[in-house]
Amino acid sequence: MVATIPVMAIVALFVFSLLYIAPGDPAAVIAGEQASPEDVEKIRRNLGLDRPFVTRFGEWSWQILHGDLGTSMFTGLPVTTLIAQRLEPTLSLMMVTLILSVTIAVPMGVIAAWKAGTWIDRGLMAFAVFGFSVPVFVVGYVLAYIFALELDWLPVQGYTPLARGFGPWIENLILPSVALGCVYIALIARITRASMLEVLQQDYIRTARSKGMGQRGILFVHALKNAAVPIVTVIGIGIALLIGGAVVTESVFAIPGLGRLTVDAILRRDYPVIQGVVLLFSFVYVLVNLAVDLLYTVLDPRIRY
Amino acid sequence: MHRRTFLKTLASTGSLAALGSFPAPAISQGAAAKALRFVPQANLANFDPIWGTQYVVRNASALVWDTLYGVDDKLQPQRQMVEGEEVSSDGLTWTFKLRPGLKFHDGEPVLAKDVVASLTRWCARDSMGLMIKALQKELTAADDRTVKWVLSAPFPKMLFALGKNNTPMAFIMPERIAKTDPFQQITDYVGSGPMKFARSEWVPGAKAVFEKFGDYVPRNEPHSWLAGGKKMNLDRIEWVIMPDPATASAALQNGEIDWWETPIPDLVPVLKKNKNVQVDIADPLGNIGSFRLNHMHPPFNNVKVRRAVQMALSQEDYMRAVVGSDESLWKVIPGFFTPGTPLYTEEGGEPLKGKRDIEGAKKLLAEAGYSGQPVTCLVAQDQPPLKAMGEVTADLLKKIGMTVDFVATDWGTVGQRRASKNLPGQGGWGMFHTWHAGADCATPASYVAVRGTGEKAWFGWPESAPVEKEVAAWFGAKDLAEEKTIIGRLNKAAMEDVIYIPTGFYYGYQAWRSNVSGVVKGPLPFFWGVTKA
Amino acid sequence: MPDVLPPVKVRRGLVGFMYRYPTIAFGGALLLAMLLIAVLAPYLGTVDPTALAPAKRTRSPSAEYWFGTDMFGRDIYSRVLYGTRISLMVGLSVAVLASMAGLIVGLVSGFVRWADGIIMRIMDGMMSIPPILLAITLMALTRASVSNVITAITIAEFPRVARLVRSVVLSLREQPYVDAAVAAGTRTPMIIMRHILPNTLAPMTVQATYICASAIIVEAILSFIGAGTPPTNPSWGNIMADGRALWQVKPFIVFFPALFLSLTVLAVNLLGDGLRDMLDPRMAKRL
Repeated sequence: MVATIPVMAIVALFVFSLLYIAPGDPAAVIAGEQASPEDVEKIRRNLGLDRPFVTRFGEWSWQILHGDLGTSMFTGLPVTTLIAQRLEPTLSLMMVTLILSVTIAVPMGVIAAWKAGTWIDRGLMAFAVFGFSVPVFVVGYVLAYIFALELDWLPVQGYTPLARGFGPWIENLILPSVALGCVYIALIARITRASMLEVLQQDYIRTARSKGMGQRGILFVHALKNAAVPIVTVIGIGIALLIGGAVVTESVFAIPGLGRLTVDAILRRDYPVIQGVVLLFSFVYVLVNLAVDLLYTVLDPRIRY
Repeated sequence: MHRRTFLKTLASTGSLAALGSFPAPAISQGAAAKALRFVPQANLANFDPIWGTQYVVRNASALVWDTLYGVDDKLQPQRQMVEGEEVSSDGLTWTFKLRPGLKFHDGEPVLAKDVVASLTRWCARDSMGLMIKALQKELTAADDRTVKWVLSAPFPKMLFALGKNNTPMAFIMPERIAKTDPFQQITDYVGSGPMKFARSEWVPGAKAVFEKFGDYVPRNEPHSWLAGGKKMNLDRIEWVIMPDPATASAALQNGEIDWWETPIPDLVPVLKKNKNVQVDIADPLGNIGSFRLNHMHPPFNNVKVRRAVQMALSQEDYMRAVVGSDESLWKVIPGFFTPGTPLYTEEGGEPLKGKRDIEGAKKLLAEAGYSGQPVTCLVAQDQPPLKAMGEVTADLLKKIGMTVDFVATDWGTVGQRRASKNLPGQGGWGMFHTWHAGADCATPASYVAVRGTGEKAWFGWPESAPVEKEVAAWFGAKDLAEEKTIIGRLNKAAMEDVIYIPTGFYYGYQAWRSNVSGVVKGPLPFFWGVTKA
Repeated sequence: MPDVLPPVKVRRGLVGFMYRYPTIAFGGALLLAMLLIAVLAPYLGTVDPTALAPAKRTRSPSAEYWFGTDMFGRDIYSRVLYGTRISLMVGLSVAVLASMAGLIVGLVSGFVRWADGIIMRIMDGMMSIPPILLAITLMALTRASVSNVITAITIAEFPRVARLVRSVVLSLREQPYVDAAVAAGTRTPMIIMRHILPNTLAPMTVQATYICASAIIVEAILSFIGAGTPPTNPSWGNIMADGRALWQVKPFIVFFPALFLSLTVLAVNLLGDGLRDMLDPRMAKRL
């Protein structure tokens, strides 16, 4: 757990260096098209671009630790404000996708393991591999076309804040969550099945069966609990996929979230925003994996740190 | 350690929330229904119409700030904030009197000193403003409602300069905001126009909200473009940024948005079929596409190479790629001025007319001594017309035997790189695509792109003494007939020197829901007079 | 359970192999088909994929244009077939390069103790940035080109391989036969060659197939966002990106590259699954 600190430091160093590795002159970008060289120099001094790397990294890190992520070059707003504005939609999308995916994928994997070798198993796993293989935006467009345009059951795009009611909020999130969740469901279902298969072959399962325990009891009480470690691992690692996929999903469904903010910032080379968001995402990812590690100790008492 | 910093971050954002930076969630259903949801042509990233010259910034600013004069649908400047003006007999002194009762959004009255500060800032960035500034002897507030501008030489186009719709427009801001350095962005958006900018609800890249300013005093005349009474029937306008045209199209069909500024032509048939959607031409003055060459460096510093491209370029290919198969939407233009305006001319336009000459181009290239230098093409992928033109260009240049260095990037980067005077191999460029609104190309007054002032010219830095001679003559012309003759010569000179190559003239569409009325054609979307049932 | 089990017919040869490992058979065949398409593209009834003909834009699939034309009048059939080259090249290059880079880093980390801590922290750091974000950011720093896309995705993917190789090295280092080899004075490179590499080959191969599939999809997403391969070179990703605005009216522009992409990624995934089952079914829990 202490290891997270150096990891974050490395991420911070990499993220900070972006401004230096990048081609082009950020001061010229801010100054605009009709600026004179003196104006560009003035701006360069304002941004502190003429001071040495180490000093600036030190200052920047100090700022970050105090919660100041800098100011966006294009909008002049603080990066923390921009992130705060976009946090709710992305968090909502991730949460709904996570719950939806786990709820669908884990039973899928369990059933596939239970009926291993049959057509049900093959069918479910084929479905899962398919989920891996079709790009997120294609799924998104197809879903939007069928359910929003043709059938008109759900809205095509947009995001409604939770404050305006649970119904509208969830309505806007269903299609994007399903689109985003496809890959996640595939991943979790496969690992669930594999892990369950291994556990089902263990001796203690045979003992439970011979003791007369019902199938469902065995599956959920004994097997799943023991199979949980790899499943939880992959749920944790899969968050990275979700974050990556959110970028595309938010674009297709016009959700004003962090993913779109990041893509816009990257395409515009708005470095403070890029730095802030990448730092944030990495931090969240590290936290999630930390939580997963902690969950291990609950699930499997043999694992201890 | 990390939990604490994370919480600290939350706390600092919490304090920002107290200042109103979080989006306000509590909008009653009624207010939301009366809001007009508009999808603009691009993202509203920054919001300073003097600092940033993008069209989308100008369009939003027209809601928030007012101007002394405004052009009507005949491009004639009419009084807006001004009650009356006086010009001395020698043409050197202009006196403007403001209308009574004009207020800013913070309740303060609009005073002459605000006008003075605003005009000073505008002059520093606008081409006509710079010309006026060069002649300026004094610009003062004679009293609270009177502004005096004394020049050293007459400037007959003063009213047009103050009322034109080309960016940057001469918006009137409070003195304290207008005192901001013209090369830095303003951070305060208190305006003088009919709508207030709801800063607390602004999510750059996603949403911008405007609310009706109750104390705005519209004029009594009927509105016509930027002139007349700007009466707002809408309480609230929401600008929803949608980068994906397919999503915007579906949202318009579903009623999730009300007005789309730039539907792409291929989606228009589907929109036309929908009973709840109306589609029409957006701007009767259209747009002129541009193949902008870099006159400063090889290969385009050689006029023969430029002419080679000119003779092979097919405006039909470009227009079909940009606008589609509907031929009522585009025209071939053998000239630099907007079709349908008084100064349109085809004089000297033979190189762009008729059958394209690939073989001739190849010969001319050989004659010019072209030896394979790569042409660095900056192509913005996030603007559909520019992306389309870029593809056609890559194909064209290859056909005539030139080497292409295709740089696919975004509009922001193009904006930055085109300012570089370096060699193409060292961060510079050979050509880029852009377009000009028809309103900007109607006269040489604001037409920076056609000027040939060399180092001081627009990106590409063309140098053409014949063009500049005609521009100077035009500013002194006495009547329309004389202007037309001069423009004819200008056109020919610009063609010969290949200042840039127009890729064609095309119209864009706009689309809106049938329950929205009052949408008119114009060089920018006009929200006054628009109602939503 | 009966005492005597009925005799099981064991089919030999290729047919037997295919019967036992249908996923490898199916996936491998599909992938082979795609490779053949990539190589033989000029001979499969295609025209110049970059030839513009704006007068013939957005025609629906017909006898003349099997997959229709795009917004510039280019033949989609040709573009999709030639796009196979780029997409497969990206996928295979990334798989190979990431594997090699990961192998080297993993070996160094596993053998050189003092470097292990630093290297693994760096790898962790890189893995904590979601791969697509990392790839987009790297692309934003440079120009759009196929080689830059390959480099960017490789950088995003190789830490996984490094981790894998390192864990194999660490577990093998404790084995008695390796200890014995060290005691007998065998030099490290020999140990690597004879003991470590053979054991890493299986999981690395499986990992490589997943990386290949992932790279093909990441390339498509990069192009979709506008940070991928330049539009002058058709790849499935940028054909779809071009056609995305029109998918409601001319769905065939997005449909055909999406179909080819999905089939290829499916094939590679199936191949990976099959290899994993064949080489070591226990890997299923980890990969």
